Amino acid sequence: MPTLTIDGKTVHAEHGTFLLAACRKAGIDVPTLCEHPAVEPYGGCRLCVVDVTRPEWDGWCKMVVACLFPVEDGIVVHTRSQRVLDTRKVVLDLLLARCPETPLIRDLAATYGIATTSYVKNPVPTDCILCGLCTRVCDTMGMSAISSVDRGAGREIAPPFRGPPPACIGCLACAEICPTGFIKAESGLRKRRIWEKDFDMLRCPECGRSHITVAQADFFAGRGGVPRSYFETCDVCKRAALAATATRLGGPPATPAR
Amino acid sequence: MSEHACVDFKPVDAILSRYPREEPSLIQVLQDVQRAYNYLPCDVLTRVAGELGVPLAKVFSVATFYKAFALTPQGRTIIKVCTGTACHIRGAPQLIEEVQRRLGIGPGGTTEDMAFTLQTVNCVGACAMAPVVIVGEKYVGAAKATTLATHLVQGGGE
Amino acid sequence: MRIESLEQFGAAVEAARQAHLAKGREIWVCCGTGCLANGSKAVAEAFDARIASEGLQASLGLYHKATGCHGFCERGPLVVIQPEGLLYAKVKVGDVPEILDKTVARGEVIPRLLYKDPTTKQAIAKYDDIPFYRHQTRVAMRNIGRVDPGDLDDALAHGAYAGLAKALSTMTPDQVIAEIEASGLRGRGGAGFATSRKWKACRKARGDRKFVLCNGDEGDPGAFKDRSIMEGDPHSVVEGMIIGAYAIGAHEGYLYVRDEYPLAVVNVGKALVAARERGLLGANILGSGFDFDLKVSRGGGAFVCGESSALMRSIEGRTGEPRAKYVHASDKGLFDLPTNLNNVETWADVGAIIAGGGAWFAGWGTQKSKGTKAFSLVGKVKNTGLIELPMGTTLRHIIYDIGGGILKDRPFKAVQTGGPSGGCLPADKLDLPVDYEILADNGSMMGSGGMIVMDDRTCMVDVAKYFLKFLSEESCGKCVPCREGLKQMLLIFDDLCTGKGKGGDIERIERLCKGMQLGSLCELGKSAANPVMSTLRYFRAEYEAHIDHKACPAGMCRDLTSYEIVEEPCTGCHQCVKVCPTEAIAGKAKQKHVIDPAKCISCGACFDVCPEDCIRFTARNGRKEAAHAHADH
Repeated sequence: MPTLTIDGKTVHAEHGTFLLAACRKAGIDVPTLCEHPAVEPYGGCRLCVVDVTRPEWDGWCKMVVACLFPVEDGIVVHTRSQRVLDTRKVVLDLLLARCPETPLIRDLAATYGIATTSYVKNPVPTDCILCGLCTRVCDTMGMSAISSVDRGAGREIAPPFRGPPPACIGCLACAEICPTGFIKAESGLRKRRIWEKDFDMLRCPECGRSHITVAQADFFAGRGGVPRSYFETCDVCKRAALAATATRLGGPPATPAR
Repeated sequence: MSEHACVDFKPVDAILSRYPREEPSLIQVLQDVQRAYNYLPCDVLTRVAGELGVPLAKVFSVATFYKAFALTPQGRTIIKVCTGTACHIRGAPQLIEEVQRRLGIGPGGTTEDMAFTLQTVNCVGACAMAPVVIVGEKYVGAAKATTLATHLVQGGGE
Repeated sequence: MRIESLEQFGAAVEAARQAHLAKGREIWVCCGTGCLANGSKAVAEAFDARIASEGLQASLGLYHKATGCHGFCERGPLVVIQPEGLLYAKVKVGDVPEILDKTVARGEVIPRLLYKDPTTKQAIAKYDDIPFYRHQTRVAMRNIGRVDPGDLDDALAHGAYAGLAKALSTMTPDQVIAEIEASGLRGRGGAGFATSRKWKACRKARGDRKFVLCNGDEGDPGAFKDRSIMEGDPHSVVEGMIIGAYAIGAHEGYLYVRDEYPLAVVNVGKALVAARERGLLGANILGSGFDFDLKVSRGGGAFVCGESSALMRSIEGRTGEPRAKYVHASDKGLFDLPTNLNNVETWADVGAIIAGGGAWFAGWGTQKSKGTKAFSLVGKVKNTGLIELPMGTTLRHIIYDIGGGILKDRPFKAVQTGGPSGGCLPADKLDLPVDYEILADNGSMMGSGGMIVMDDRTCMVDVAKYFLKFLSEESCGKCVPCREGLKQMLLIFDDLCTGKGKGGDIERIERLCKGMQLGSLCELGKSAANPVMSTLRYFRAEYEAHIDHKACPAGMCRDLTSYEIVEEPCTGCHQCVKVCPTEAIAGKAKQKHVIDPAKCISCGACFDVCPEDCIRFTARNGRKEAAHAHADH
């Protein structure tokens, strides 16, 4: 088990994990915008930069992003050195220029002492910080319905041809993971709309709640040998049915049989 | 969307038959599609996505990421003004202006009659002859704003 | 015919050599991109046609071949007549009969076609006597211009694959790596990482499936050495890659070639087919039991794909977005398998090093930078082209002795090396010997070997802005500092060049540079600040002039510059009128001309052609003041 020093604290980290997890384990807050446990780390926002050194490096440090740097035994990490803070400030200052009206960015920038950006404000303010969480979660779901489009300053997140995405099943994973609320969805009893695509909702045969889209049920039906009917029932009713079965069999299933 | 009805799939099918049906073929296939169709028609991209088993969103992402690809039809003659460093300091900006003045199109633009598209290229590696303009397939070295028009006429006539 | 064993290889080389010697005389026509652009294809065809129609092959033993780039592109089309070694420059189709009748048949030199030294004005007949060539030492470019890239036998006759045969027959993989280590070879793509260390790491990596890749995505604007190598001697690259694969234990490889280099794509493709046919690629190479094959992957037009992890994503068919490199490509590269990537020139050096020995290569260079290095010498220099020199050669020797000095003998201002990741070095650095460390210590870098010479008419703020614009178009946009930082930096520079610069801009630029250097994900973003930092370091006064005086000392920033024709000595030669794109200059022949400030766009075309130096530029606000002063009289 690699042992490292983070801001003076000794931390034992799991082999094969990343520095960010070790920092959190030590109770040290490192800001992030593009990291989420549901998806692979990305290293795009650059907010989680930290300085890494070793006693034998004679004071020389390398700056790395904590979300992607694999823990190593014996490293000494500084999460709040002056140049780390300066670098984060530049990043936040730039993001604030891009998203001058986005509460998440404004609040984070404020904690680093930035009230207004020192750069040129985006004439067309956006809430999209291009963290890539939406596209990564869509890939994880197996849809890959949306992607990054264009490059450089013109980069954006969009469906193919900027129209309704054919592969989207309306699962809302992208909207839910979006940290700034940029991705908008409307859900009603019968219809759901996201990325300008309309979906019919499926209603739970037990309680009538509309909980997933028909496209979702169609997509998952039959996968791993699970019948479509399983997905048609909402999670609340499924849990209720499970509880009822447990009660009927006598006693909660919490105690394993010996 | 009227052009979609008349997209001919024969060229793309011929292109696809030359490559393994896998993601690493994507950029190579799109290069050939760009050459065959002069741009990447959306229906053709959808076909490519299906045949290579690559999500359409990824195909669109690649098609918009790389500069070699265009999603709108390009002019019959493509004028590429090299904007490499050597060309820049030897007057590439003046050449772009000259094309703009003559044809009324900026970089990335296509004339209304579809005769010309103006593109800028970040170095074609012919720096010793800077500044360089490529009209169609023809390289024009040591290009001058005042004589560019002649090359445009020749290039357009081909 | 497939070469099945090392003995057969020796016999094939000997046969090729005899066939080559049997050709009494040869005419080499350069068919590199530069010469082709100047019309060399027609020249080559004219030679072919006339040699055939007059039966010159039989009567004079005359052969013609189309070669790769001779490097001296500016003087193209270039024709070399062997065995005399005569060089004819700027040859036209109409010159072909005369060359055959006079020079080939009767041994007469045609003075009109000879190269004239711009400094001494002397005509020089022999290829090897021309300063541009005389000062060069060619290793990576050893066969460019001498062999027909489409003829494997010609390459064999000139030593191609000799290093491979030696490695496969007499050396273990570890011995190959030791030889490369002894040569001191470092990455020729720019970063200068020791090649042997890379190979060792990949050799040690676990796994049976490994890749060797060639980075032919030469994206640095102003650099074209890799293009010329791939076009002119693709077999040198293929040979190096097979040797590297043997040392590492890889059986598959890719050559990633820029799609903007169509001739390179074609010639590399042909070389692979030829090598495969002859048993130099594929299963059981030269009967050694070693298997290796190569594919060409064409790039899609993205500078960032020169970055190793982005290049690998591109070969995988994805967008070229770099990844963090905390895990090295030698462990997890292409398709997440162990991968070794080297630059075209690095690969081209390998075969020669194995054939000649590591110590031979290490005989050139400085303490830490060994061997020779290819450079593209371009910009405002008299002799532009491609050169290869020992490491440690001074910038002055390169620019003045080989390059012949600055165009029109204007003052030297700076030389830009290392492309968008590099920097600009001023006149007082001209005596620096060129090696990896010295360039880096002075705020530039080796990069891909581009050397762009700039004169006093080059604005250094504009140069920095040029690179920022280039990089902002080429950034992949994945990480914040590079994507947003370049965008904002470019906005600041737009202001500087249009007279809207303000106090504090330099400090804002410096802060942003620091953030991008430390915070960016890949080398593109990390090094994006270099052109800005180096121009600020050496030409700060020029920045201050733009900000404090709204003036561009070089007269390049149009919003800050106005042009006028001074009374004396304008002779009314009319040359400025001819080049003015907006018809802003008026005047009768042999009378003083006048520029109409309302029509003038300050492009400077007139200034550059005026033979009498009578066009003057002033700061635009300065002109206004002058105009007021004039009105007062």
